[in-house]
Amino acid sequence: MQKQVRYGQNRGAMRGTGVLARNARAPQKEPVPFQQLLPLKLKNSVSGKGERTSNVACLQEMAVMFACLKRSEFDQALCSKEITSFQSCYNTSQEQKKAKKELDRSDGPVLGAEARFMGHKKINQLLRKFPQ
Amino acid sequence: ISELGPSRNYSQYAPYFIEPIFKKEKQEELYKSGEIEKISHVPIRAALNDQTSSVFYDEQVRKFTNYVMEMGKKTLARQLVEKTFENVKRTQLERFNTSPTPELKENIETNPLIIFYRAVENCKPLLQLSPIKRGGVTYQVPVPITEKRSNFLAMKWLIEAAQDKERTVHFPEKLAWELLDASSNQGRVVKKKQELHRQCEANRAYAHYRWS
Repeated sequence: MQKQVRYGQNRGAMRGTGVLARNARAPQKEPVPFQQLLPLKLKNSVSGKGERTSNVACLQEMAVMFACLKRSEFDQALCSKEITSFQSCYNTSQEQKKAKKELDRSDGPVLGAEARFMGHKKINQLLRKFPQ
Repeated sequence: ISELGPSRNYSQYAPYFIEPIFKKEKQEELYKSGEIEKISHVPIRAALNDQTSSVFYDEQVRKFTNYVMEMGKKTLARQLVEKTFENVKRTQLERFNTSPTPELKENIETNPLIIFYRAVENCKPLLQLSPIKRGGVTYQVPVPITEKRSNFLAMKWLIEAAQDKERTVHFPEKLAWELLDASSNQGRVVKKKQELHRQCEANRAYAHYRWS
């Protein structure tokens, strides 16, 4: 009779072979033993993955404005409030974009209210100055 | 000033050069308030040839003249715009003098500059359509518009409407009529703006396709 092959034993490249060496049908032993797969060290940079949200600004204001225009048969004089709120929303979003760009370009420390616009770029700039 | 010479895409001036203040009243204001100290040692750009300190100077009209101009013919453009304002004035004066009651007379505006401002204000679109491609289909997405672009579109549409005319009608005449119509919220250009708004409203479902 040929010896039964224990799957996983010949794959030397795999790191978690301890799990595969046991019988897969046996229940898991709690607590699970910790395995250090990556070095336990923080990186000197932040990833920008979660940042690129589709933050489409002013959709709510636009919808409100459209509803008002529809009601008033596209007579702008009756919708001045909604129109001004939409325009001010757009202006503030443009200013925020500008402020973010300025912050990325600037060299000095990030003061109080400016920290709102800090993206991964700016944080990485600061971290690069003081690497661990 | 750049040593490389004129270039189409780049300014002759370094970024720290400031806009000139060529109007006498504004200069006096600066001296009075003491703001002149801040800019007394800052290099200033040269004023353009059509930026004058005249009493009749107007920034909007200067822009409008530039949009009317073709092939660099500034003199002709200026004459056309001046003739347009003259025609506006004449039409309004005629209406004023022939109107029966003083109440009606009050409502008639004879200043062509004010008519021009009102016309541009009434023709300004609130948002524009921008073509955005998703999944092989190009959608017309309603997108917010900046003040400058809105202003530009209003003036451009007025001029385009005035150019669309019969051979026998002169441009200043037609433009005068367009300005008068637009200032009272009627006419082709206002209709065009409203059509754009209607299309934007019809396409409001696609507004999510924007990315900024």
